[in-house]
Amino acid sequence: MSHTGSGAAATAVRPGRQAGRSAPPPDPAPRPRRRLDLTGALSPWLFLAPALTIFALFKFWPMAQAVAMSLHEVRPYLGDRWVGLDNYTQVLTDEDFLSAIGHTAVLAVGQTGGSILLGMALALLLEGSAKHLWVVRTAVFLPTVVAMAVVAEVWRILYYPAPDGTVNTVLGWLGMGPSQFLNSQDSSLLSVMAVGIWRGAPYDMMIFLAGLAGVDRNLYEAAAVDGASVARRLWHVTFPALRPVFAILFTLAAIRGLRVFTEIFLLTNGGPNGATEVMMTLIYKLGLERGELGVAAAGSMLLLAATVLLTLVVRLLRSRAERKVA
Amino acid sequence: MLSRKATRLVAALAVTFALATVTGCGEDQPAADSKAPLEIWVRKPPGSPTEKTHQDLAAKFTAATGVPTRVTAVFEDFETKLQQAAAQKKLPDIVVNDTAQLGTLVKQGLVRDVNQADIAGGDQLTPASWDAARGADGKLYAVPFSAQSFALFIRKDWRERLGLAQPTSWAELDALATAFTTKDPDGNGKADTYGYVIPGSTKRGYLDWYFSSFLWASGADYFSGSPGSLTPAIGSDQAVGAATWLKSQFCTAKSVVPGAVTAETTQAHPLFETGKGGVYFTGPYNMARFDKSLGKDKYEVVALPAGPGGKSASLAEGENVYLMAGSANPAGQERFAEFLISEQGQTIGMAGDTDGNVVRLPVNKNIDLAKVRTDARWLVFDKVYKEVGRYAPVVPEWTPFRTASAEALNAIVSNCASDPKAELAKLATEFGAELKKQGAGA
Repeated sequence: MSHTGSGAAATAVRPGRQAGRSAPPPDPAPRPRRRLDLTGALSPWLFLAPALTIFALFKFWPMAQAVAMSLHEVRPYLGDRWVGLDNYTQVLTDEDFLSAIGHTAVLAVGQTGGSILLGMALALLLEGSAKHLWVVRTAVFLPTVVAMAVVAEVWRILYYPAPDGTVNTVLGWLGMGPSQFLNSQDSSLLSVMAVGIWRGAPYDMMIFLAGLAGVDRNLYEAAAVDGASVARRLWHVTFPALRPVFAILFTLAAIRGLRVFTEIFLLTNGGPNGATEVMMTLIYKLGLERGELGVAAAGSMLLLAATVLLTLVVRLLRSRAERKVA
Repeated sequence: MLSRKATRLVAALAVTFALATVTGCGEDQPAADSKAPLEIWVRKPPGSPTEKTHQDLAAKFTAATGVPTRVTAVFEDFETKLQQAAAQKKLPDIVVNDTAQLGTLVKQGLVRDVNQADIAGGDQLTPASWDAARGADGKLYAVPFSAQSFALFIRKDWRERLGLAQPTSWAELDALATAFTTKDPDGNGKADTYGYVIPGSTKRGYLDWYFSSFLWASGADYFSGSPGSLTPAIGSDQAVGAATWLKSQFCTAKSVVPGAVTAETTQAHPLFETGKGGVYFTGPYNMARFDKSLGKDKYEVVALPAGPGGKSASLAEGENVYLMAGSANPAGQERFAEFLISEQGQTIGMAGDTDGNVVRLPVNKNIDLAKVRTDARWLVFDKVYKEVGRYAPVVPEWTPFRTASAEALNAIVSNCASDPKAELAKLATEFGAELKKQGAGA
């Protein structure tokens, strides 16, 4: 790319010179052209160098090490033992891992869908420029900025699984409960999902609000004049305008969903009876609690492959959808 | 053409820089230096009185030997941070941590082996304490520093209000837990109290760590056979009986505090302190905390009664001084361990009756516990340790067994439709595979 750029610059010089002289001079000396090329080629790399160095040190090199670790039994002070693809086989045939993959998928879909629906509902309710809305929006956004450790501790208290627990008290007023929430294998995944939605929805709401601000007001008015109901206006005007927002949210959620860790680690640590075990908590346990760093690295590599694949699928679907619109 | 050259130049520079940085991270084995500073990691909450006691111990050691020391207290995810340090080949020189970590540290080659004869004062330690430092190959990989056993912490005020006696059998213990659950022992007119406080999470194998004493007291065991040729015994009728008993507390009597199946110790302690549960089987290190938060007069410390096996039992644990691999000062490591097990070091570590104690029960047999501490509750733990204390089984690495056991028990108690016999049979199969993997099976 840089070569083409410099070539274009060199061509741009020629007509001027030709215009100034009756007889065309011999070809310009190659030396200045070379210098131009060198500067043109180096400058983007020089700008990129700080970021590339940081990425190389903190991302690419550790990733390369993780690939190597996934093929070894890791023993830092005794020397690693080559085991080939054994670690991958162990991961892919492990019942716990397969069920963790299932839980991760359920949680990713549930949290993504829930956050987007709730986020959109909040955005539609809180859209506008009135001052009081600004205050409400800030209050609604708070769960997103609070540290996950605090959120988990608060929800553990709210979810206290006795009749005098906070949420159970509310359920009691409605003639329901008490629920075990995090402490039953039937309800724990849903309970964690609810916390994820509660935390993720305001973030999605902000992105929706940004998207809604870009919708042409004239379209609403035109639709209203044509007698379109609120639901029809939403369906035919708002949602199509928000298509790029959905694309961004799905991409982000796909990646975020697969990497879910903190809320599980702090709320249930994968329990009870492994009902909330996800890939990241299992990789953590294998690597850092049981010292099976090689197997954990193999699990991480598979997770990376899944993330890349999912991102590509989302991008592919997005580009197809865009082509269709065009 | 030229731009390709430039690209190559940048790539070469980047690779050289990366390699230089990476090789800078890895360190060759440093030359021995008997005055090199000792980096000491202790598994204690930063800023706690126990950290101060370790600081005090290190300062006195430096004053006596001239070897500089630096104490770092790490509590949350201690093992994780140690793994990270190991991955960078920058281990501390000394680690003071649980005896149960021995196998994992040995397996990964993170600790040096120790020759008992080289440790001055090593012959003054109780023989049982050295067992806590022995690996599956019979070699010693640490120096014992502190021992402890476990006992029941019972809400005395609740028990007396209900007119019940201290439990002398498991049946009486269950009756007490049920009464705490159903008879409003705090007299507030609400059904908001429970019997057993149990850290039932699988994290760090907590549920198995809690249950092991009950398992042994029921007459069951993890393995049968001798070290090196073990076979799983966790599927035995006695073990099934013990697991069924545990499950019945959760599912039938419902005498366990809500939330137990996902609770770690840090979440379980407050349940006892705030009057949710009245029976907590835990270690002596909690006395200082509960004295402050609950009040010394509100609870009592009682040995676990004999179980169906006809005898009592308690997990024996404690802390070892691990001499870590790659130290620049191996001689200093040994001198520090010698100082910690000396009468002076043990007495400082016991910290009298204060909450700064890091030596729970002394491992040095020349120390009379009753002379250092006036609080008679310590004698309960001392008696339990000496009479019925049992360390975790000797296998190359105990952690995978403890984790698998905690997961099986968690599955049993969190699902009231579970079949303890089938779950333990599955666990026995897992134990068999792990024994084989570790080369410790028959």
